Amino acid sequence: MEISLIVALVDFCRNIIGLVTRPYETCRRIVEKANLLELVYVGAVLALYFVLASLVKIASFRPFLLTRQFFVLAGAAGFTYCLVVALFWEIGKLIGANGKLKGLAVLWGYSLIPTVIWFFVTSILYVLLPPPRTTSVQGILFSVLFLVFSTTLFLWKTTIAYLSLRFGLRLGLGKILVVLAGALPILGLYSYGMYRVGIFKIPFL
Amino acid sequence: MTYKTYTTNTTYKKFVKRWEEVTDLPPQTVGPLTPFYKAIVRRIKVMPWPILVVSSLFIVISLYVILGSAITLLVSLLQRGF
Repeated sequence: MEISLIVALVDFCRNIIGLVTRPYETCRRIVEKANLLELVYVGAVLALYFVLASLVKIASFRPFLLTRQFFVLAGAAGFTYCLVVALFWEIGKLIGANGKLKGLAVLWGYSLIPTVIWFFVTSILYVLLPPPRTTSVQGILFSVLFLVFSTTLFLWKTTIAYLSLRFGLRLGLGKILVVLAGALPILGLYSYGMYRVGIFKIPFL
Repeated sequence: MTYKTYTTNTTYKKFVKRWEEVTDLPPQTVGPLTPFYKAIVRRIKVMPWPILVVSSLFIVISLYVILGSAITLLVSLLQRGF
């Protein structure tokens, strides 16, 4: 078990580097291997973020509130992950996908890495340079840089999400668009629900 | 089995494995837009960051042209969104 965990850690690190430098080849390899143990490390990275987010959101050292906030964030993110994978899988099956659920689940887990990087950096910036931004030259310059950073990560995330459906469900572009057309309205409503209850204002997908 | 035969077999097996990986899914085509699609995908497959950053810059500058200094409101909203 320990050796499997170490092997999974090495693969996890290799895959993260691969997703940065060679996303296409790496996504194909992740789906092919489909090692669920690698999700442990994805979960660990997410847990680190939830600790930071709890500290920033609660903004005081009150263990009960911090613990509750941590479990709310972790639970919501875990449920969202399961919902997204189940939705893609079920809709994919309806239109004739013949991929592997394990492959889709592991690769979608990796697609949370750009998401968590964005949330992590945004939380730190919230502390260092709290909003609102002003319309001064510095304010606009910061806004432009922040938006470029956000859009770049979003495009990276989109690439990995597309490859998740391509390799995880083994679908072509047309059918991927059908899966998205089926899943996105449901995820939109779900994200609105998350926003209303105040867990994630920006969807943690 | 001689060493030469052994290495030839291994190389052949590696080649077959790689070939099966590459031809596992049929290549994506998008009708008349296929050359355009392939040109973009080629840049995304290996080290996609230059094209991702350039595309983002283009999107954000377009947004700035449309919204003007109101992009600061958008950023304030996003910063509160975690």
